[in-house]
Amino acid sequence: MSEVSTAGRTGLFRPLSTAGAVATVLGALLPWATFVFNEGPYPAKATLQFFDAPFALSGFRLHLMLFGLAALVVGFTRLPGRGRVLRALGWGVLAVSAVNTVFLISNGGGFGAVSASDGAFAFGCYVGLAGGALLVADNWHASAEPLPRWKFSLPLWAAWLVLLVSFGAVLLLVAATLTAGGLGGAADPYAGPVFLSFLGAAGGLLGGLHGTGLLSWIGELSEKHRLFSVLVLLLCALGLPLTSAGNEYWMTVAANIGVYAATAIGLNIVVGLAGLLDLGYVAFMGIGAFVAANLSGAAASALGIHVPFLLAAVIAAVIAGIFGVIVGSPTLRVRGDYLAIVTLAFGEIFRRAAQNNIGGLTGGANAIPNIPQVELFGLEFNNPVTIGGLQLPGGVLYYFLIVLLVALTMVAFGNLKNSRIGRAWIAIREDEDVARAMGIRTGKAKILAFLTGATLAGLAGAVFAHKTATVSYESFQFLESVTLLAAVILGGMGTIPGAVLGAALLFVLPEKLREFSDYRLLLFGLALVLIMRFRPQGLVPDRHRRAELVAEDVELPAAPKEATA
Amino acid sequence: MFATLMQQIANGIVFGALIALVALGYTMVYGIVQLINFAHGEVFMVGAFGGLATYTWVLPADVKQIWYVALPLMVLGGVVVSVLISLAMERIAYRPLRNAPRLAPLITALGVSVFLQEAVRLFYPNATSAQPFPATFITTPLVIGPVTVPASGILLVAVSIVLAILLQAYVNRSRMGRAMRATAQDPDTARLMGINPDRVIVVTFAIGAVLAGVGGVLYGVYINNIDNQIGFQNGVFAFTAAVLGGIGSIRGAVIGSFVIGLVKNLADVLLPGGTAYDYVWIFVLLIVVLVFAPQGLFGEAERVRA
Repeated sequence: MSEVSTAGRTGLFRPLSTAGAVATVLGALLPWATFVFNEGPYPAKATLQFFDAPFALSGFRLHLMLFGLAALVVGFTRLPGRGRVLRALGWGVLAVSAVNTVFLISNGGGFGAVSASDGAFAFGCYVGLAGGALLVADNWHASAEPLPRWKFSLPLWAAWLVLLVSFGAVLLLVAATLTAGGLGGAADPYAGPVFLSFLGAAGGLLGGLHGTGLLSWIGELSEKHRLFSVLVLLLCALGLPLTSAGNEYWMTVAANIGVYAATAIGLNIVVGLAGLLDLGYVAFMGIGAFVAANLSGAAASALGIHVPFLLAAVIAAVIAGIFGVIVGSPTLRVRGDYLAIVTLAFGEIFRRAAQNNIGGLTGGANAIPNIPQVELFGLEFNNPVTIGGLQLPGGVLYYFLIVLLVALTMVAFGNLKNSRIGRAWIAIREDEDVARAMGIRTGKAKILAFLTGATLAGLAGAVFAHKTATVSYESFQFLESVTLLAAVILGGMGTIPGAVLGAALLFVLPEKLREFSDYRLLLFGLALVLIMRFRPQGLVPDRHRRAELVAEDVELPAAPKEATA
Repeated sequence: MFATLMQQIANGIVFGALIALVALGYTMVYGIVQLINFAHGEVFMVGAFGGLATYTWVLPADVKQIWYVALPLMVLGGVVVSVLISLAMERIAYRPLRNAPRLAPLITALGVSVFLQEAVRLFYPNATSAQPFPATFITTPLVIGPVTVPASGILLVAVSIVLAILLQAYVNRSRMGRAMRATAQDPDTARLMGINPDRVIVVTFAIGAVLAGVGGVLYGVYINNIDNQIGFQNGVFAFTAAVLGGIGSIRGAVIGSFVIGLVKNLADVLLPGGTAYDYVWIFVLLIVVLVFAPQGLFGEAERVRA
């Protein structure tokens, strides 16, 4: 690790990076484990074969090989942003190697699993780790390089083609991420590490592409052709059932992620735009869910009336919105962390009330089970559907419904953010007193933020009620609020992709890592602390405006440049 | 009815004394670093488990029955664990965020809270379910007319009041206490006067942890049952008490705690919903206090840092 910034270093040959790349390639080719596991050989069952055929690369070894070769090539070019690319590749290599090493060691019963023994030798993981570490260390100061900006413009058809291809690639990446490692749990003991390894590789790939400036360029392109991108993105989202993720299980997982993503976007309005920390947000989703459950005609509901789904959803949203105004009204007098406590208290009041079956409306500990499925236009939402000649799996209609819901919340968020009220919210977030002095009616604006957020959450809750068929107070605990908040913060406050990415990560990870489900919350708490320490602006930082959490005087270790660009 | 009422008042006073031990930590930390240390409740919980661990693994079998030896040692064990955890938390999680905007440490505190709860659940043997806590103190309850109070309850009230008075004296009389008050008033000027704010903050966290640790062990002795959730619940109550009394004020925290204890126990018999809703009433009280009297009974008006 040299103190000299790589920005000033123009020499072609980078011995350390090259050594790292070579080590990575070697690591991909070397054996990784010394023996066959009880559940079957780790590589074979995890589709990563390397015992009998060290050169038939697949799975994580393929990723390592590709990363190593890419780093080797990039190291000898004058590619702008070279250091950033190499560093991202290095992190990817490091992540992939670490995941597989840790799994082999922990499940193989110690270091014997990855070291020479009984005549067999396996040092692949050490070499891979060393390669990744070298790449990262040699390019440690790459953030000093400016992020390359692509300036050339394209004719309309080419721009559309580029967008089409890149969103298609995103779709495939999403499908691959969802299905990576298979169902997990008892079905495949290797699912967790395979998934994590894939996630590491995907992160490295995206980081590398970002380093070249490609992603920013595509982002700018899509902003220029906003309507077209939105349509393509929607189309891609609707196309997920046609990919490898197109079966009932993954549709259900995707639908669950969608519900939380929609809720997280709603929370993002309150926290990300208006800067009002809400620690009881999941209560609004709960109110929406319980209202929808009571209007669904479920046998256990108190009202026993059946209202068509669309109407029920609207009623749920409205009632949640009314509660949003009630919870938001203290914002007129209370600020900062006191407000957070007030929202926490409201959330706890809701949970206690629901737990005690208040007014017979929530079912208490028995919950409200057997909520009928949504029926719209003569379609029963649990059944598989055939469109034209295409056979789509069951649950796909819910998925479509939720994609529409997420799209709706995204449109609402995007339009609000750039509207008069959105600018008022951001002004309040930055400095409430100044905002008031500028003539913004802060009280009204803050209550409107709560109203909007709660309405969106209520809508998501209504869908959630029908989707899961059972609504219990246990789904709306304090921890769920914290998880949603974490999704918003992890993704990046005040941005749409951030909330979706954050929700996806926080709700996919537990789904994929069931063997670690016991440690889920532990890691979650740790993650909150680490994010606040090292990347408070989140994975997708708000480009235009300083987020609430990034102080200008605090120097951030990880690439703060693009955050303020 | 009268007997029930008196009994509930007695229970409320004991509960208030317990909450006071936690609330003092909240109020001290908030007074000096303006941080709602959500994880302070977990420090209390960790203290209870520290006391239990001392009893289970450290104390020799023949000492376990002699309460005047066993109980102080358990309290010591709980306090040591609490202080260590609290100082580690301050050093690792909060100190790096000293100058960050206010949301950041608050969210960190939530993370620390979840982390500690889970760490205890996963790594303390059998802590996935509630753990019985040995009744080390005198078990014969005190009967005054219609009211029965466990001896451990009396102990809790006595210890709580004595510690609060000691703390008040320490903050008002000692050199470090003066430094604390100076830092709370104006950290920058305090630094100019030669006060090391890091040291003041560490001492504040340590004092809070000592009180929480004592509270945790005495809670175990009083309730005879602990689990990893006790920190969050009692932490929220304690925070409510601290706000009610006026955050930053020691006297306010103690009086607020007794009010909370009485409200909770009287709500059980007097307010609609009974025991199932006593938590709700406390939260309602919290909201009302925050909205209409955020300065509490004895505090100054909240200073809002932009």
